[in-house]
Amino acid sequence: MLPFKVTFKPGVPACEQAVYAAKKSIITGQLRPGDEFPSVRALSQALKINPNTAHKVVAELTREGLLEVRPGLGTVVAEIPRSSREQRATLLKDELERLVVEAKRLSIDLEVLHEAVTGHWRRLSPGGAPVEKLVEAKL
Amino acid sequence: MTPAVEADRLTHRYGRQEAVSELSFQVPESSIYAFLGPNGAGKTTTIKILMNLLRPSGGHAAVLGIPSSRLGPEGLQNIGYVSENQKLPESMTLDQLAAFCAPLYPKWDDSLCSTLVQRFDLPRRQKISSFSRGMKMKTAVVMSLAYRPRLLILDEPFSGLDPVVRDEIIEGMLEIAGRGEWSVLVSSHDLSEVENLADHVGFIRQGRMVVSEPLESLQRRFREVEVTLAQPCPQPQPWPAAWLRARISERVVRFVDSEYDEARTAERVHQLFDDAEAVASPMSLREIFVALAREERHGGTDA
Repeated sequence: MLPFKVTFKPGVPACEQAVYAAKKSIITGQLRPGDEFPSVRALSQALKINPNTAHKVVAELTREGLLEVRPGLGTVVAEIPRSSREQRATLLKDELERLVVEAKRLSIDLEVLHEAVTGHWRRLSPGGAPVEKLVEAKL
Repeated sequence: MTPAVEADRLTHRYGRQEAVSELSFQVPESSIYAFLGPNGAGKTTTIKILMNLLRPSGGHAAVLGIPSSRLGPEGLQNIGYVSENQKLPESMTLDQLAAFCAPLYPKWDDSLCSTLVQRFDLPRRQKISSFSRGMKMKTAVVMSLAYRPRLLILDEPFSGLDPVVRDEIIEGMLEIAGRGEWSVLVSSHDLSEVENLADHVGFIRQGRMVVSEPLESLQRRFREVEVTLAQPCPQPQPWPAAWLRARISERVVRFVDSEYDEARTAERVHQLFDDAEAVASPMSLREIFVALAREERHGGTDA
């Protein structure tokens, strides 16, 4: 059993999807610092993905500082690393702009967008509750 | 590094019928190569040539560096092969079959064999003739994995099997993966079966290779693009050759970009359609192959 769930969508590289799923479970606290992360082989068997892909998933999460390789112990979840100014700028300027463009294109009100963001924020915080209904009502 | 499999302009004729023509591809070392195509496209013929069960009418192939026409018992000790309708000795039990196979392979690993038998939930002392189709396929897979081959060749291993058995077989295959040199060539007519498993794909149609490349590069370079126009306009000329399957209605243009690059595609769209906005969406392997297959048939725009 993996400590996180991936439902693969066709057309998006499997590596990207698995990295995102793992990241999400770390952010929400389902996986905590110090928890053991599945080995490449366990990952590849459980998700039925290519071992090279599984290897890339672990490498990418390690590169982002979310996992840490402890010699002799295997790979464990790291403390969530402090972000750099540059990383924060990318998210707040570029990616947020993209979101606003799409929201405006779909004529979503600022208020609704704001509530949805807050909802997701709460849901993805450790111990958070599902938000789907809240957003659903506004649409 | 020598590729695990190398085919160079392979051609095979049955009488006058050309089953495989000028087929070239490589299975790189430590990759899982999905050999895809509709039934009757020439997959089994190609695999039989690789296994030295058929002689090609033209071209040549090498498997683990050995020319396929010279593949003998020694070379075969490093290759696991399960054919499309693998025959098994029906009157034997699984234990008897394992005892029969073991001495043929110096690298036979009894404990791996037991692990796989357990994982596959197979009875050891029942005659194989009483096995279901899925159990027989699993038995064949155990017998070809237990000597840790460097190359595994599976011809349509999942056809007619239920998803549970399919998953079990994949897990078994992955059990011996990731331990150094290990490559797989798996043929299938069902793309979704192998989409996450393969890292290289080859698509064969009517005996010809349509595409053979790493899955990631294929997923990266294909996008379905939709352009919404401010006002109706005819199809601009010249139309980029990499834009396949163009369909143009009054205000919407759709096509498959086979050389997608965010900046370059956007620029092209701006040039041809006066600053219209393009939305590009990723495509599944199935959608990519449909686009390629149609393109082959029509050789351009299909209105």
